[in-house]
Amino acid sequence: MKRVLIVDDDIDVTTLVSKLVERAGYEAVVAKNGVQGMGKVREGKPDLIILDILMPKQSGVRMYRELKTDEPLKDIPVIMLSAIAPKSFFRSQKVLDEFAGQSVPEPEAYIEKPEEPEELVELMKRILG
Amino acid sequence: MTNKSKILIVDDDADTVELLTKRLRAEGYYTSEAYDGEQALRQVGEYQPDLIILDIKMPKIDGYEVCRRLKGSEDTKLIPIIMLTVKRKIPDKVKGLDVGADDYMPKPFDHRELSHRVRYWTAVKMEVEERVREIKRLEQELIKSERLAAIGQTVASLAHYIKNILFGLKGGVYLVNVASKENETDSLKTGREMIERNIGRISDLVLDLLEYSRERELEYENCFPNEIADEVCGLMEARAKEYGVEIIKDFDPSMREVLLDPRGIHRCLLNLVSNAIDACLFDSNKEKKWVVQVRTILQNDGTVRFEVSDNGCGMDEEVKKKLFTNFFSTKEGRGTGLGLLITQKVVQEHGGTITVDSQPGKGSTFTIRLPCTDVSTPGAMAKESHES
Ligand SMILES: Nc1ncnc2c1ncn2[C@@H]1O[C@H](COP(=O)(O)OP(=O)(O)O)[C@@H](O)[C@H]1O
Repeated sequence: MKRVLIVDDDIDVTTLVSKLVERAGYEAVVAKNGVQGMGKVREGKPDLIILDILMPKQSGVRMYRELKTDEPLKDIPVIMLSAIAPKSFFRSQKVLDEFAGQSVPEPEAYIEKPEEPEELVELMKRILG
Repeated sequence: MTNKSKILIVDDDADTVELLTKRLRAEGYYTSEAYDGEQALRQVGEYQPDLIILDIKMPKIDGYEVCRRLKGSEDTKLIPIIMLTVKRKIPDKVKGLDVGADDYMPKPFDHRELSHRVRYWTAVKMEVEERVREIKRLEQELIKSERLAAIGQTVASLAHYIKNILFGLKGGVYLVNVASKENETDSLKTGREMIERNIGRISDLVLDLLEYSRERELEYENCFPNEIADEVCGLMEARAKEYGVEIIKDFDPSMREVLLDPRGIHRCLLNLVSNAIDACLFDSNKEKKWVVQVRTILQNDGTVRFEVSDNGCGMDEEVKKKLFTNFFSTKEGRGTGLGLLITQKVVQEHGGTITVDSQPGKGSTFTIRLPCTDVSTPGAMAKESHES
């Protein structure tokens, strides 16, 4: 069974999204923040990561960059899920790219909250097949 | 060419004043005159000249002193002053420039020279005024744009917050729908809980907004500060535990019954404790054992003091400066920035103060001090107390 890692500190999001994941026939794994998220990723590579940008401790942005610059992990598809408008996210990425002198690929998808649950399910199915 | 500049002529010698007046009016200037220093200072305020021609030797206040005072005042320092000296006396000139005169002219004067200098200094004055106006306009524009930016930020942070709530509501409805279609009781329960939780969040938000915008009358009642603090700790216990934060209570046993608005103070403490737990949650040092301490202290002077400290993330100067300003929050989408605003408002309405002490990475302490009337035994205030 394919595994989906959900990283978000908001219990509403993790509850709903893990329900959606399970109903779509996948296994859901939940992490509350970026540090925990990276731990879960290293325990066993998930097939998809659904990641919130704003979280305490380690932000989603940092986890995302860590993932995408790690050779064995960079191929895991990521869906960004956030209340932040995509425009702001992509702008901040560009700034970080310049600052770090490395360019990080864009996520597979970016969903602005509040999204329709069906939208997320379809996206997941498209990515995971 | 008409020249509308106003020139004040100051000299105790009436002949000089008359001569200058005639000459300058012929060139199209307005003029006024004063015959001693005191009169000159008064005239400057009333006449608002664009240029002053000032003699040095005068009874009472001399020209140097007049010049020094005018150049020392914000209102008049931009008015150019031409000093009149009897001869080309170098010491006079130096002293004149020392006290801030812009130019000097020897007496008796050459008409062409006089005309030339007056024209030059009135033009300078106009130029300066233009600059001052320009600066004022820019300042106003800046203030306006800053205010607009602040409103924009407020709206954006509220929008984030509401988006998160909406997400919870939508999710809850989705789960309930799925559950009722497929008869799945488990999802039904989760969905319901999600909806209820988010309805609660939005009601709190509305209450906060109202609380902040409305002039609420404090409802004073006899109450025990320790009980309020205890209630708040109880309410936050579950959340603290969930995040691995320990709440320590340290209540002053000599605390007495006092008169204050219990609901208002309850709200304040709830905000502070909830912020303190958040601060632990936002702390990047995972090795730490997080503690939130809630203290109550009855001071010798009858002041009731509440202290809420945490060993969480703390804050830098930048954040500290903005703490009590409109809708400032670093918890994008998770906070409204209203908590401390309301807390401050309630505390101030009690005639009290709220202060903060914080170090980045070490933690913060918020202290509320309320001047309270002791209602238990009259005269009991003088008795010993825990700490001051
Ligand atoms: N105990 C604390 N430690 C660190 N930062 C704090 C603390 N309390 C408040 N703050 C900062 O002050 C901001 C404003 O707090 P508040 O007005 O209660 O609004 P909110 O909690 O909704 O963000 C917070 O976002 C946070 O950055």
